Amino acid sequence: MNAILECKGLTKSYGGKKALSDVNLTIERGRIVGLLGPNGSGKTTLIKLANALLTPTLGEIRIAGMEPGTGTKKIVSYLPERNYLSDWMRVHDIIGLFRDFYGDFRPDKAYDMLKRLNINPNDKLKTMSKGTKEKVQLILVMSRESELYLLDEPIGGVDPAARDYILETIISNYNPEATIIISTHLISDVEKILDHVIFIREGQVVLSSSVDEIREQGKSVDGLFREVFRC
Amino acid sequence: MLGKLLKYELKATGRTFMPIYAALLIAAAVTKLISALTAGGSEVPEFISAIVYIMILMGMFVMTFVVMIQRFHKNLLSDEGYLMFTLPVEPWQHIVSKLLISVLWNLGSLVAAFLSIVILTFDEIANRALMLDLFAVIAEFLTIFGPTGSLVVLEIFLAGIATTVFGILLIYASIALGHLSNRHRTMASLGAFLGLTAFAQILFACLTLIPNVRVLQHYMDTLQESLQTSIALFHYVMWFTIGFFTLLSAGYFLITNHILKKRLNLE
Repeated sequence: MNAILECKGLTKSYGGKKALSDVNLTIERGRIVGLLGPNGSGKTTLIKLANALLTPTLGEIRIAGMEPGTGTKKIVSYLPERNYLSDWMRVHDIIGLFRDFYGDFRPDKAYDMLKRLNINPNDKLKTMSKGTKEKVQLILVMSRESELYLLDEPIGGVDPAARDYILETIISNYNPEATIIISTHLISDVEKILDHVIFIREGQVVLSSSVDEIREQGKSVDGLFREVFRC
Repeated sequence: MLGKLLKYELKATGRTFMPIYAALLIAAAVTKLISALTAGGSEVPEFISAIVYIMILMGMFVMTFVVMIQRFHKNLLSDEGYLMFTLPVEPWQHIVSKLLISVLWNLGSLVAAFLSIVILTFDEIANRALMLDLFAVIAEFLTIFGPTGSLVVLEIFLAGIATTVFGILLIYASIALGHLSNRHRTMASLGAFLGLTAFAQILFACLTLIPNVRVLQHYMDTLQESLQTSIALFHYVMWFTIGFFTLLSAGYFLITNHILKKRLNLE
């Protein structure tokens, strides 16, 4: 079984400033991985490189052995940290779009989750609050049956009650073969669902460890994070 | 996948153009109606209505241009690009779908403008003599070309399409080149636009001056008021124009595709 995500000497700089520098990383299948670091540490850059939204300056990144491209886009479900949906569309239009383009999209799952979160599929995105839009995006992304989910700040903009539902959604919708990478700085909220954590600081991976190993040392992920990233 | 992209592109742009076309035709009809009702009376209502019609007409062409830029820039290279570029679709398919729909709306706007003029000049058209005269003039013009008359129509159509495609791909390539800049992407796009335009003009000058000198010389030598030579020269110029703009369009397409495929860096 090959690794789902692999980085070798991955470097990304923006006009001389390094956002990621020499990242070497292997993530196995079937894990829920926390990509943890303070703001501006390079979490989003790494995820965008995996989605071919950015081009590496140096090094390489591979998903299921492939360079990011059309082949990987079929098996990666990505939740960006921003709103990427066109305002004029209605929720059911967007569900149609996902069904048209992604072979692994399950519309019934999406409609089911919309119902549970009291979102009307006939509503236009324009009329929705920021938090509701985020929920719609997450529903779309989790209604795919992908091999890799890349969730960038999935709980950043929603209230704590919705956070619990979203985390529950993430766990209940995912099949054990798949891998989920969640980037966040809200560690205590996600800690309970993670199998593996990656700490990233100033563009470098400072720790990649299973949560069990951290617990064996008698620490919590949150506690270790505070220790590593002490200001 | 291209078919699906075309479907969504048509949907996303149609909601802008259909109301504009409807408004244009309604304004033309209202102007015509007011003119008929107020014949012999005050001209003020007709004047106001005509102004509204002209504003919509100009607005329509401005929107055709603006939407072309906006669909490429906003839908592909801004936040919406996060969705478009994570669809399992090759970048060239995005470019082609946007290009084809943009050509379609360019044609659509021309047709809408033509229809609105038909509405405005309804009486004159109903007056068949005038129309027959017009057709007679066109037919006479084409008979000059003898058996190649229908070819002229094709050439004019193809040249129109080739220059439209060229104009659109020039804008796409400029925006894509601007995207290579880390900062000031709008300024960089403007710079790229000026550069690419200058390049096209220099290339055109070189190609028309150097190899064509001999061709033109040949025509000039044998011209001697000969109609046949003039016709041959006309066809030559038309096909040269079509070929030139098609070639440049292909170059601008390759630049755009390369950047979207290999040098994408969404902010």
